[in-house]
This record gives sequence, C-alpha cells and structure tokens, in this order.
Amino acid sequence: MSYDDVEIEDMEWNEELQSYTYPCPCGDLFQITKEDLKLGEEIARCPSCSLYITVIYNMEDFLGSSDQNRTNKGLQPSKQQAVTVA
Amino acid sequence: MFGWINRVMEESEKLKTEENGESEEITWSWGAGTDGLPLDLKDSANAAIVADPSFEVTANSKTLPFVEEKKESGDRLWSWGAGTDGQLGTGRIQDEHLPRQLSLPSVSSLACGGAHVIALTSAGKVLSWGRGNSGQLGHGEVVNNMLYPKAVTSLENYFITHVSAGWSHSGFVSDTGSLFTCGDGSFGQLGHGDHASHCSPVKVSCFVDQHVAEVACGMRHSLVLLKGCLSSQVYGFGSGKRGQLGFSKDKIKSINLPKVVSGFEDVDIVGIAANGDHSAALSVDGNLYTWGRGFKGFEDSHLPQCLNSTLKFTKATLGWNHALAMTGDGEAYMLGGNHLGVLKDLRNECSDSREANLKKVPGLDGIKITDIATGAEHSVLVTENGEIKTWGWGEHGQLGLGDDGDQLSPVTVSLGYDLNEAASTKVYCGSGFTFALTKP
Repeated sequence: MSYDDVEIEDMEWNEELQSYTYPCPCGDLFQITKEDLKLGEEIARCPSCSLYITVIYNMEDFLGSSDQNRTNKGLQPSKQQAVTVA
Repeated sequence: MFGWINRVMEESEKLKTEENGESEEITWSWGAGTDGLPLDLKDSANAAIVADPSFEVTANSKTLPFVEEKKESGDRLWSWGAGTDGQLGTGRIQDEHLPRQLSLPSVSSLACGGAHVIALTSAGKVLSWGRGNSGQLGHGEVVNNMLYPKAVTSLENYFITHVSAGWSHSGFVSDTGSLFTCGDGSFGQLGHGDHASHCSPVKVSCFVDQHVAEVACGMRHSLVLLKGCLSSQVYGFGSGKRGQLGFSKDKIKSINLPKVVSGFEDVDIVGIAANGDHSAALSVDGNLYTWGRGFKGFEDSHLPQCLNSTLKFTKATLGWNHALAMTGDGEAYMLGGNHLGVLKDLRNECSDSREANLKKVPGLDGIKITDIATGAEHSVLVTENGEIKTWGWGEHGQLGLGDDGDQLSPVTVSLGYDLNEAASTKVYCGSGFTFALTKP
C-alpha cells in the first residue's frame, strides 16, 4: 500500500541523486527520476526500505521539458490551437 | 584504565592539535565532544574511560580506538533502529535491531530528527552527530555523516537550555532566550527571512527583543514558544501547506519569517511539538491543541483545534501520522491511527467529534507511564515499573525487539539493564530510530 500521495510540487529536485525526492519516515528519501516521470511512472521508492509513495503529477509537464515545445506541440495540437483561438 | 582518563583529560588540547593536523574531522569528533564538557571533567573521578578493543572502527582508512566510558553510577544511553547516517552514535553506519549501550559523554537531554541527533549537556553545551548534508549538525561545514558526537563550537559562548531536531534543520535556545537555527532553509523553516541554508547556528533576529522558551522543528516547519508573552506566545514559520503554521484559514505555501499562531490569545501555552506536517501545543491546564496535517481520517486543520476531552495532558509528542499524549495520572493516549498498523485503521469509525480519534494505548493493563516518544511511524513509552515498551513500524529495528517486524501494541524492550536502578528514564525518537537515557 502506498504510504502517501505526494504532489510533485512538494517534492524537491536533488541534483546529486538526479531525482525528485520526498522524506521517507525511515530517514531516507523517496526518489523518482525525470525519466520515470516521462514514462508515466507514479511510484517513488525509498532505496532503504519497503515503503513507496504515489506521485501526483501531469506527465505532459515532463514530456515537454527535454525536447522543448516540439514534443509538447506534437502531443497536444488541439490544446495549442484552442489557446490560439481564444 | 585511569591512566587513560588522565591522558585524555590532560592532553585533550594536545590531541586536538595532533589529530587535526593528521586526519579528517571524523577522527577528532570524539575528542571535541569530551573537550567541551566541563561536567565530564568534574565527574572524571567516578569515571572509567577505557579503550575497548571490541569497539574499533575504521574511518578514512585509519583505525581509531573507540573510547568507552563506563561509570560506576553514571548516565546510560542506548540507541537502536535506522543507523545508515551514523545517527545511532555507535560509530557504525548500519541499522541496529537491538539496543546498544553507547559510550557517549554525559548528556541531559536529546533531540532526534530525520537522521541526526542533538545532545544537550547539563552544562549547556551542545553536541551533534548523524546526517549533516544540509548543515543541520551546526558544525560550520556540510558533512554527509558524522559518526561521533561533535561539539557545536559556535554556541560555546552560550548556555543552551533547549534543542530541537527536525527532518533536516535544527533549533537551539539559550538561557537568555535567544533562538538559533541551522540546516535546510529552503522552505523558510530557519526563520531568517530567506530560503538560505546554514551550516552554523544563526540567531533568529525576529526574537532578539523576546525571550524564547522552546523551539520545535518539524519536517519543513518550525514552531517557537515565547516566555512571558501571553498575547502572542506561539510562532510558526516554514512550510504551511498542510496548515501546520496555524495562523490563517487560507492555504499558505510557506513563510520565512515567524508569524503568530492564531487562537492562543487567552490560553497559557506551556509546551509545543512539531513533527512531519503536524503541530501541537499544550496549555497549562492540560488541554491539547493540534493543527496541520489531519490525523488518519481527518481533514487538515489550518488553525489550532483544542482536543475535546476531559483528560488533562502533561506531555504530547508527534509522529508523521499519529500523536501520543500522556496524562498527569500516567495514562497514555494515541491520536490518529497509523499507516503501518499501530492501531487498526480508524477511517471507518470516524464520527464528527475529534475525541473519537483518541484511543487509550492498548495492552498496558493499568500500568502507569512516565515518558513517551514518537518516531515517524513508531511509538515508545516508559512504564513506572521500569520497562521501555515500543510498537508501530519496525522495519529498521526501531522497536529494538531484535527483528524488523511491526507491533500492534506495546512490547517490552530488553536493555539488559534494570531500569528500576535508574532514578529517571527518558526516551527520544528520530524518524526511524530510538534513544533511551537513564539517570542514576
């Protein structure tokens, strides 16, 4: 069972671990990489224990981050259009 | 043996110089601890300090003698649980499933955080060890792990009376009422008006004209209790997303300067607590107030809520999803269930009243308790007949029962020492670890 549901904005980017992290009650950190997030993975695990959390986020936010807008536009043509029209 | 004492005491300065010259700070950490302890010097006539060959540790490719202090009738300190950041003070980086007696300098109280420990001596000096990657140890530099107690030298000119350890930040209060904070400041939890982190304790300027009595450090927030200031006695700062700052009904992401917690205008608060995203305060007449993240099955509370109960509490401690409270009659109550099976899931039996969430700790059969402590997901208490009991999450050995199992109700821990011989036994919990301290 997931220990908790945590919004991505409440997680911290850890340069050393190259992961988003959130405190684990064991003292270590729940971790999830940007690559995991791009793949739609929503479980952040603690390397020291059996606990894990569910990360609440929009996959689109991460798909756009590395390939700039090209990927974003490619994925959401209708949304982009709607914005332009409005 | 006594030759060792003399050598340690007389040559401490010389050792300090030598050790600093030829090895890393980790080598010197023990010496720095004893060096800053006039109390230990006073007690040295009763102390036997021996180099125990079974306690050799290796750091920086150098084998160090681990100096064990055995006192005829001195303080005793044990630790167990998660230890991979050196927080157990055993000199090792590993979990311990059974209590290990430590050979640390005499301490009067402890504060345990996410993975670090702050010890206060009765001489008002501060030692710290464990994880220091955010500067939470206050040693003036960022260190990943400090395996041995090391004096917080920048506070040596102050008599420190109260300390608190959060997830990755620390608070220190002096006898003159000054507050110092260090460690991770990225949520404003240091109270300096910015989001900077500090590796040495920095005085919180907001309180320079006030007398701070206590500080309580949570995961990403801090609470401060002022002395003699009834109208605005409790302050909060840091992350407030779950309501843990308690000054506004609105959702506050974070603040980096202390702000008065609402609702205590006509209440005399005598104690505060913070852990995880929870906050709590105790009034002089024994009422318990909680705010922040809702305990199992309850909504977050953005303003302090008085627990609707006729019980009069004398101490309360917080976990990440539960709280323990002790009454003047020596009864233990638990607020909130627990994710990991401390008590059965309460979600299905919640009513509108908050006292439905308050349960008497099971399995004590009327035995009175004398102290309580809560880790993130485990609980510890001391009984009047000299037993330490633990329950909750046990994966890292934080229950001290020799395994990694969870417990639904209190189980007695064996220290290999009769606690009835001690005048007092106190327990302290970090997120996933536990300390017990006895006084002769």
